[in-house]
Amino acid sequence: MQTNLLSRPTSAKSTNMSDKINHPQLCQWLESVAISRDKQAFTNLFQFFAPKILRIARGKFPNEAQANEVVQDTMSNVWRKAHLYNQDKGAATTWVYTVMRNVTFDMLRKIQGNKEDNLSDDIWPIAESMSIETEIFDDHLEHANLLSVIEELPQAQQDVVKGFYFREMSQEQLAVHLNLPLGTVKSRLRLALGKLKVQLGEQHD
Amino acid sequence: MISHHPKFELIQAFVNGDLPASLSAGIAIHADMCPVCQQTIAQFTEQVAENSFEEEYLDRFIVDDNEALDTIASIDFDHMINNIVESSDIAVVVPKVEHTISFNDKTYTIPAALNSMEMGKHAHIGKLTRARIQLNENEIHTSLLHIQPGGGVPEHTHKGFELTVLLAGSFHDESGEYVKGDFIMLDSSHQHHPISTNGCLCYTVANDALHFTQGINKLLNPIGSFIY
Ligand SMILES: [Zn+2]
Repeated sequence: MQTNLLSRPTSAKSTNMSDKINHPQLCQWLESVAISRDKQAFTNLFQFFAPKILRIARGKFPNEAQANEVVQDTMSNVWRKAHLYNQDKGAATTWVYTVMRNVTFDMLRKIQGNKEDNLSDDIWPIAESMSIETEIFDDHLEHANLLSVIEELPQAQQDVVKGFYFREMSQEQLAVHLNLPLGTVKSRLRLALGKLKVQLGEQHD
Repeated sequence: MISHHPKFELIQAFVNGDLPASLSAGIAIHADMCPVCQQTIAQFTEQVAENSFEEEYLDRFIVDDNEALDTIASIDFDHMINNIVESSDIAVVVPKVEHTISFNDKTYTIPAALNSMEMGKHAHIGKLTRARIQLNENEIHTSLLHIQPGGGVPEHTHKGFELTVLLAGSFHDESGEYVKGDFIMLDSSHQHHPISTNGCLCYTVANDALHFTQGINKLLNPIGSFIY
C-alpha cells in the first residue's frame, strides 16, 4: 500500500531541480512568513504543499485522521519555524520535506507503540545549531529568526537594538538620535540583549 | 580515516524516514563525522523532496485519483489555515546542549542524534560495559558499548544484523582496523572477533543474540545476551 517515492532510478548527483516547481517563489513566500508573519504568503505555501503532503501521508498512514494530522502538524511547523529556514542551505522544498518527514517519523513511532519521544529533530535537524554571540556580532542581526524575536521586545528596547545592529549606530549616536541619556541607551541595550539571549537560548560549549 | 560507510540503499531508506530510530541515529552519527555521506544525504534529500512536491510525479503513483481527491476535498483546508495562522507561537532556536556519559572514569560527549534518548544503567562483564538505550523497538536492541584497553568480544556470528558505529577509540578484527566514525554493518555471513587494544566506545544496534563460535566461549552464553 505504501507509495514508493524512491522507486524511480536515482543518480546520486545533485540538482535535478526541475522547472516544474517555482523554487524562487516558494523561497520568497517562506521568507515573508519568517520576516513578517505574512498570512497570504502562508496561504500560498499551504495551497502548494498541503494537498501533496496529504497524498504522501495517505501512503504511510491507513487512517485518514492520521494523514490529516501530518498535514496539520507539518504546515503548523512551517508557520512556527519558517525563520529557521536558511535558503543558502537548500531549496524550500527540501526544508519542507524535512519538516514533513520528521513529523511522520515521530508519529509513526508513537502509533507503533515504540515511544512518544520526538527523536526526529535530533536525527534530522531542521536548523543549524546556532551560536548567538557570533550571529549577533558577525552578522549584524541580518537573520530573519532574530528579527522575529526582536519584534517581541518592548518598543523602547526595539528602537535601541535595531539602531545599534541594523543601522550600526554607536551607543553615543543612538543617545543623540533617540534623545535619551547615554546610560538609558546602554541599559536598554543590555536588557534587550539579555532577553534575546533567553529567547534564543544561551550558548553552551 | 573513516573507510566504512552505510550502503546507498540504507541512506535512501534513512532519507525517506523508513528506518527504525536505532538505525536512523546510527547513520546520523556517522554522517556527522563523514563529509562524504553528509553530501550524499543532502543531495538525495534534495532530490526526494523535489520528486515529492512535483505534481506530475505524484500523479503517477495515485491509483485511485478520485478517491484521493475526495479526501482532499473532505478536509477543510481554509479552517486549517486559519487555525495555524492564529497561533502566535514561534519556535526559538535552542542551541544544542552537549550531553556526556562516563565509562570507567572517561567522559564522552554523546552524539547529538542521541540527545533525547533514555539511557539505561551500566552493566559490566570483564572489560565490557554496556548502557542500553531505551528505544522500545522490540527485537532491535541498541546500546553504547565501552571496551577497556585490551578488551574484546569473543568470536561470534550474527543471526540477524549487527551495526557498530565507532564513537571514540579504535578496534580491529580479522578484516582490519576500525577508527572513529566507521560504520560497520555485519550480517549473518560474517564471523568476527573484535579486540580493542587502546579501548573504544561504540554505538551498537543488533536484532538478534550473537552466536558464539569459539569452543569455550559457547559456555559464555550470557555475554551474547549482554551485547545483544
Ligand atoms: Zn560515510
